[in-house]
Amino acid sequence: MAVAAVHSGGIAEHIHPEPQGFVRRYVFSLDHKIIGIQYIITAFVFFMLSGLLAEAIRTQLLNPNGGFVAPGTYNEVYSVHGSAMVWLVIIPLLTGGFGNLVFPLQIGARDVAFPWLNMLSFWIFPVAGLMLFSSFLMGAPTAGWMEYPPISLQGAAGTSMWCAAIFLVGVSSTITGINFVVTILKMRAPGMTFTRMPLFVWGQFATAPLLMIATTALAAALAALFIERQFGVPFFDPTKGGSPVMWQHMFWFYSHPAVYIMILPAFGIISEVLPTFARKPVFGYKLIAFSSMAIALLGFMVWAHHMFTSGLAPFLQLPFMILTYIIGVPTGIKIFSWTATLFGGKIHYSTAMLFAIGFIGLFTIGGITGIFLAAIPFDLHVHGTYFIVAHLHYVLVGGSLMGVFAGMYYWFPKMSGRLLNETLGKIHFWLFFIGFNCTFLPMHWLGMLGMPREVATYDPQFTFWNRFESVASYLMTFAILIFFVNVLWSIRNGRRSGPNPWGARTLEWQIPSPPHYYNFKHIPTVYGLPYDFSQPLPYKGLEEELTDSPPPVAAGVH
Amino acid sequence: MVTAVLAVLAVAAIVFCYTFPLERYLPAAIVTARQVDELIRFMSATGSALYIFVAGYLVYFAIAFRAKASDAPDAIGVQIHDNRKLEFWWTVIPLLFVLVLSIVSVRIWYEILLEPENGLVVEAIGHQFYFSFRYPQINGEVTDEMHVPLNVPVTLNLTSADVIHGFWVPAMRLKNDTVPGLVTTIRFTPRLAGRYPIICTQFCGVEHSEMDKQVLVIEDKASFDRWYKGWQQKNARVSNALPGASGQAISLQGGDAAAGKALFSQKCTACHKLAPFNQTLVGPGLEAVLHDPAHPDLVNGKAANPADVASILENGYTGSMGAMPSASSNGLSPQDIANLVAFLNTLK
Amino acid sequence: MSVAAIGADAHGHVDQLYVETRELRLQGFLLFLISDCVLFSSFIFAYLYLRNSGQGWPPPGIQRLDVAFAAWNSVVLFGSGATMHYALENFKHGNFMKYMRFLLATIVLGAGFLGGQAYEYNHLIFGEHVTWWGSGIFGASFFTLTGMHGLHVFLGVCYLTVLVLQSAAGVYTKGKFFGITAGTLYWHFVDVIWVVLFSIFYLI
Ligand code: HEA
Ligand code: HEA
Ligand code: HEC
Ligand code: CUA
Ligand SMILES: [Cu+2]
Repeated sequence: MAVAAVHSGGIAEHIHPEPQGFVRRYVFSLDHKIIGIQYIITAFVFFMLSGLLAEAIRTQLLNPNGGFVAPGTYNEVYSVHGSAMVWLVIIPLLTGGFGNLVFPLQIGARDVAFPWLNMLSFWIFPVAGLMLFSSFLMGAPTAGWMEYPPISLQGAAGTSMWCAAIFLVGVSSTITGINFVVTILKMRAPGMTFTRMPLFVWGQFATAPLLMIATTALAAALAALFIERQFGVPFFDPTKGGSPVMWQHMFWFYSHPAVYIMILPAFGIISEVLPTFARKPVFGYKLIAFSSMAIALLGFMVWAHHMFTSGLAPFLQLPFMILTYIIGVPTGIKIFSWTATLFGGKIHYSTAMLFAIGFIGLFTIGGITGIFLAAIPFDLHVHGTYFIVAHLHYVLVGGSLMGVFAGMYYWFPKMSGRLLNETLGKIHFWLFFIGFNCTFLPMHWLGMLGMPREVATYDPQFTFWNRFESVASYLMTFAILIFFVNVLWSIRNGRRSGPNPWGARTLEWQIPSPPHYYNFKHIPTVYGLPYDFSQPLPYKGLEEELTDSPPPVAAGVH
Repeated sequence: MVTAVLAVLAVAAIVFCYTFPLERYLPAAIVTARQVDELIRFMSATGSALYIFVAGYLVYFAIAFRAKASDAPDAIGVQIHDNRKLEFWWTVIPLLFVLVLSIVSVRIWYEILLEPENGLVVEAIGHQFYFSFRYPQINGEVTDEMHVPLNVPVTLNLTSADVIHGFWVPAMRLKNDTVPGLVTTIRFTPRLAGRYPIICTQFCGVEHSEMDKQVLVIEDKASFDRWYKGWQQKNARVSNALPGASGQAISLQGGDAAAGKALFSQKCTACHKLAPFNQTLVGPGLEAVLHDPAHPDLVNGKAANPADVASILENGYTGSMGAMPSASSNGLSPQDIANLVAFLNTLK
Repeated sequence: MSVAAIGADAHGHVDQLYVETRELRLQGFLLFLISDCVLFSSFIFAYLYLRNSGQGWPPPGIQRLDVAFAAWNSVVLFGSGATMHYALENFKHGNFMKYMRFLLATIVLGAGFLGGQAYEYNHLIFGEHVTWWGSGIFGASFFTLTGMHGLHVFLGVCYLTVLVLQSAAGVYTKGKFFGITAGTLYWHFVDVIWVVLFSIFYLI
């Protein structure tokens, strides 16, 4: 009880009773680590499904006149592919998944602020996911992931299901966002000041308000679309006085910040992996942390760059163009700082590190084409073409998904106590890297030369490159298959990792893998940044973590 | 050394971007298209030069600073935390670059916006799934092709009759959405005669991908006038016919209802339910079309009978609900139509 | 672990755990109110957008709003804000009976507001010009926004009723009354939203 006295028995010291029984432990668990893993598993299942839809897209596009599925079905396929990848895969993986799993450990907390809400927001997610996929049974949405009315008002019944499903995912995200903000503000270990937080925590801290605020705006848009479709209440239908462009404002006011929801946590992952394997402090810690906040803030002010062709007045478009350019500056700071982090390092090439470096290389391409798109005259040419598809996959697959893979290789030992197989990992990386570039690079010129997006058939002059992309995408599928095989194999047979296989210095690595349900025996005290490899670890109170001694207050509170 | 190599590569990339024969792949049909090309060259040159440096250093550092077998296993890198000067410059230089880019792109954008105001007015109206055009200054008849005379400024007003479409002519490097209830305008001056595809770039329904079959014809003034006159005459002759009607009735003999039923579930259920008329999916519900006294007149205004249903199936129909594809775009043979009608006739 | 279960110890000291839990909940609750506020803001944006995109406002053929009536109804709602404030203050100062009376007054006023709204809806729907949810952008935005607000008031009334029952059962003590604080915050939030809604629908 000595420790409890020192810390006066506050919530930080509070230890939940150990969950008993399978259901309380693994199904309706309150433990942020288990919830994180639940998110990761569920999201990967949805990833397989929406990846298979992606391969259906590519198979259809092998031939200029399609033929794999009917045009109507094709539209359903890419709409669900886009929606599912965004809302059921990348966002849950990066926030609910890695966020839950890692950041409470990194700030030295025993759990998030509201474990019950955490469980609730997890359980909403698979339900919503099943709803989204079940829309195939009643005619899935066809108007893309942005469902512009009026065409989405004509869509089959599944479009309403889509609204409801995305609304629910949104509720789940909002709860997660609130939970994370409060956790980071209130539950940091003593001494864990804002300027000592690991960068992954900063990534989550910048993302959580976006989850909280932007997602609610989307909820309003979805609710309006839903009631318009179901009850004929006019918001968007121009024949009844509504405005289709208003949907675009409401949708993009969420969905532009959403792209930063999908990248800021990935930035965080990269900022953890790079210093660990380069054996060097991350370069420019403060600017990296600050730029995440700047990106999150600027992210709210640029939504209309998706609407340059929808007839806004020019004087309204101008500020959006320039603010969008400006986002390149904080993002550039990150890219340059990461590159500089490698300078003078002793780089160990684990698979996680390969993915991290690949991330920088590929995301930068997507970012630079993003800046191109922000230039109105250029966007007037390529909006609605495969150039956009290229941009979005470079940032989302080359960026977010690569970040997810880096995170998986990096934190898998923390989840399971075993390492992923590195040989398979490296095969995965290289096949994925090559397959990815061959799939999405040609889309840039296809778009510039006249291939519109969301088409089931296309002009025969584009046949060669489309076939090339499709074949390359099969290679990518194969690479991902290797990844799944690796995960399934390593859970049982992987090499045991021990608490800290990478010699990393953030708090989560100072405790056993997988951690005890109470995370820390004693809440540590922090007196410095984690990334300084020449110094001893900047933590006090961790001595007993790796011993067999029981946690001191476990019996006390209850 | 590395810097020098990267600089050479960057210069090569810049030269490549500025000499690449873009117009060979994509002609510049209007005056401002060449300005947009300038912007493309500027951005791809600076973008690739930037990328060469970022990726170049990334790869160089990644190789040069790898842990070597000779290193102690716990060897650490140089412990640099930051460098104010460096961070200052890589904030300020991109900011300056943003400034330059803003100036360049605003200049080019203004060229596009400031095209002459009072050119030849053309109205393009998006439909599911084609564009129709009007020339209100000539006499306002609806045409299904867009022609514009060379070197004459054009004011193109875009709107839509149903859902949002995108009006894109790649050779113009210009597009705008056609939004129902809203008129948007683009102005341009054609500079190069030719036929250029018009492509729809907003998803607008099942046949969105087919909405790239029309062309913009840029031709000299004399041919333009000739074309328009010809159109007027043709239009006078066929004005009351169904669009594309062949006049030849399809034989409905030997329709096989079972085959029709199978075909219906493949080709029609995307738009029609077998439900009462008012249960609209895209088109009306078709339950008992031919036998339900409550069923209103067919979309073409006639009381329902097999021949007219066949004609709708053959020619398609566009009305208030949207567009019903024609037999050719739905891939129906006359026999298919006969089968379908036979099937619809069994619905009571 | 419920808040109530963490009792103060025999000497009336509130334990650390409760204090911190309360802080967490307060912060979480404030963040929830912020996101709720975004929900309203989005619909308000939609309303203003539609209002300004059309052919003049209000659109022809709708029932005019009865501003005077709505103003009186607003007074009722704002009155309930005041009583809620006093309820909390009295609870803090230990005047339990006064607290209960103010709380009950709040509930009555809140219900009164809802009744007024029902009357107003009735007037619109069955008035001279039928104006309902689906009958144009005015109906759409008016009924969606005020309906959403009314739903908030209704949930608030339910919550306050629960508070009454809980208080009667002695759940809240001098040191532990987060439930009441949250209720007050929520109620004020609903009031403030109404100020905005009243201005944009009735005044401009
Ligand atoms: C995070 C987001 C994300 C991700 C990861 C991806 C991944 C991929 N995407 Fe997607 N895509 C979008 C987001 C994403 N996409 C969005 C938002 C759109 C726009 C939609 C719209 O227009 O509305 C889009 C649209 C889009 C298009 C354009 C469609 C069109 O406009 O007509 C194409 C075309 O090639 C495409 C391809 C791919 C491919 C090949 C992958 C590949 O990287 C996928 C690779 C993954 C797999 C192949 C899974 C492998 C699984 C296994 C191997 C397991 C085996 C299965 C079982 C055991 C069940 N995508
Ligand atoms: C993870 C997701 C993600 C991310 C991070 C981004 C990042 C950016 N995006 Fe992207 N975007 C999408 C996902 C994303 N985007 C999606 C899904 C769509 C399509 C939606 C749809 O229609 O379906 C889209 C569409 C889209 C459009 C609309 C195109 C159109 O439909 O017409 C635009 C236009 O401005 C744009 C711009 C940008 C910009 C400027 C950035 C910037 O944040 C990028 C910043 C990064 C860099 C600039 C690179 C590194 C910087 C340097 C090396 C420093 C020096 C550089 C400069 C100062 C210029 N994006
Ligand atoms: C692209 C969607 C689409 C497809 C596919 C389609 N239709 Fe239609 N159909 C429509 C629309 C839209 C209308 C109504 C046109 C209008 O009035 O605006 C229509 C009208 C009709 C009508 C007239 C209905 C009436 O009551 O007046 C018949 C009959 C019909 N379709 C039969 C078919 C059959 C048979 C098939 C399959 C071969 C088919 N349609 C495929 C969209 C479609
Ligand atoms: Cu018209 Cu797409
Ligand atoms: Cu954006």
